[in-house]
Amino acid sequence: MEERRDAVRRLRGAVAGALAGCMPLAGGALACELPPGVRLESERVAVSFRTTPEKIAVGRPFTLDLAACPKRGVLVLERVRLDAHMPEHRHGMNYRTRVVPLGDGRFHSEGWLFHMPGRWEFVFELGSERLTHSVRIE
Amino acid sequence: MRRRLAALLLGAAAAAHTQAPDAQAQRLDFSPTEVRAILSHGPWPAPWAGDPTNRGSGNAQAIALGELLFFDPRLSPSRKVLCATCHVPYRAWQDARARAVGLVEVDRNTPSLLDVRYQRWFGWDGAGDSLWAQSVRPISDAREMGGSRAEAAALVRGDAELACRYEKAFGAPPPASDEAVLAGIGKALAAFLETLVSGRSPFDEFRDALAANDVAAMKKYPEAAQRGLRIFIGRGNCNACHFGPNFTNGEFHDTGVPFFIKGGVDEGRYGGIGKLERNPLNLLGAYNDDRSGASAVKTRQVALEHRNFGEFKVPTLRNVALTAPYMHNGSLATLADVVRHYSEVSPDRLHSDGIPLVKALHLSAAESADLVAFLETLSESASALAPRRPYARCR
Repeated sequence: MEERRDAVRRLRGAVAGALAGCMPLAGGALACELPPGVRLESERVAVSFRTTPEKIAVGRPFTLDLAACPKRGVLVLERVRLDAHMPEHRHGMNYRTRVVPLGDGRFHSEGWLFHMPGRWEFVFELGSERLTHSVRIE
Repeated sequence: MRRRLAALLLGAAAAAHTQAPDAQAQRLDFSPTEVRAILSHGPWPAPWAGDPTNRGSGNAQAIALGELLFFDPRLSPSRKVLCATCHVPYRAWQDARARAVGLVEVDRNTPSLLDVRYQRWFGWDGAGDSLWAQSVRPISDAREMGGSRAEAAALVRGDAELACRYEKAFGAPPPASDEAVLAGIGKALAAFLETLVSGRSPFDEFRDALAANDVAAMKKYPEAAQRGLRIFIGRGNCNACHFGPNFTNGEFHDTGVPFFIKGGVDEGRYGGIGKLERNPLNLLGAYNDDRSGASAVKTRQVALEHRNFGEFKVPTLRNVALTAPYMHNGSLATLADVVRHYSEVSPDRLHSDGIPLVKALHLSAAESADLVAFLETLSESASALAPRRPYARCR
């Protein structure tokens, strides 16, 4: 398990190093093209994400791929955190996701599992940006 | 006079027969949402594709070795305890005791092994991330079988029949490493346990009839059970955790059952994650046969949270009427007691921040009886297991 924690620390460092200052502004237009998926926007960033499998089932693991693109400014992504919780019940998942940077603002993550039916809220923290998206799982 | 009395009794018996629930039950008018929820608990048996972490999964030779080991008292140096001591085949593969008794009594209830292959985590605390790792845990527990990996490995290496079957199952004789042999023992036991799938229940027949809109078949399902089913998927919100064909989401919850034990507390899932991390047979270790890495994600990414204290695994409800007593510590003797627990559970005990998942249902006596009637229909009508047969000697 210590090995796992080391790996997580190394990964965090790699994410920060790979992404710090690497996403330039584009004068209101996106600096890059987002792949198909659920699209979310904050003031400074647009993201698209998709899950595999696409339909999330209760108690079934899934992976999530996310692409981020700055809308303006230089986006310094010191840390990327992808998570989900059930707002009504005030609890999260029983797992912490592992985020692997793929370059060009793209990330692959694993360790997702929604263990109950109901409303889940994805929470994507990309540097100082925070984006959320709710889904209802039956 | 006697003839008239006999005629009256016969008539009453005939009337009672024609009014039997099976012949008279009407289908409740379930809403589309309720129908979807009911259908989500099937079909049964659920599809299953084998365990990629166990190269013995589905292998007839490994199954045979596992069955022999399951009933072999020599895995305990005492020769007094075998796997089947607690997992008794004719008691739905549990022991009908509140708490299991190996060499001495332990703190938790023995779960049934029926349908264990569908689970994600094993044991009430989920300390096992594979069925094979969990299967060897009692061998070296001082209170259960009181053995050791060295003794178990020596048994398999030294017994001609077991060594021959080990080689047939895994393609090589038992290796020199005790730990590796123990992993093989676990994989053989797991291969056998994977065959223990329960038969279809009256609920399964109703569920499939509902899916097919077979009104005549639906009428065989008692109305009381239908009313209980409506509570289960509705007001009771039982299916939030007892989800899917195996009636469990495979995860862990605090349901307000006391976790005090003699001399301390049972940490539940919190302690289970610690044990999982320390277990050399976990899926992050060398004995996982799944080279894709996908099966180990849950073990690598599981989160240890303070709330895990006092959480225990959500058990399957299949065959629940056959597996009393209930809860992780066997503290509730009957299904009626379990329903009463959820009807009266104290919110103070549950420490919920948000909308509580478990809250007192305040069921009437009739509603409680209906919920019990539903739960009783989740048990198999007949065993789906093939009768045990003696094995020819291994050559």
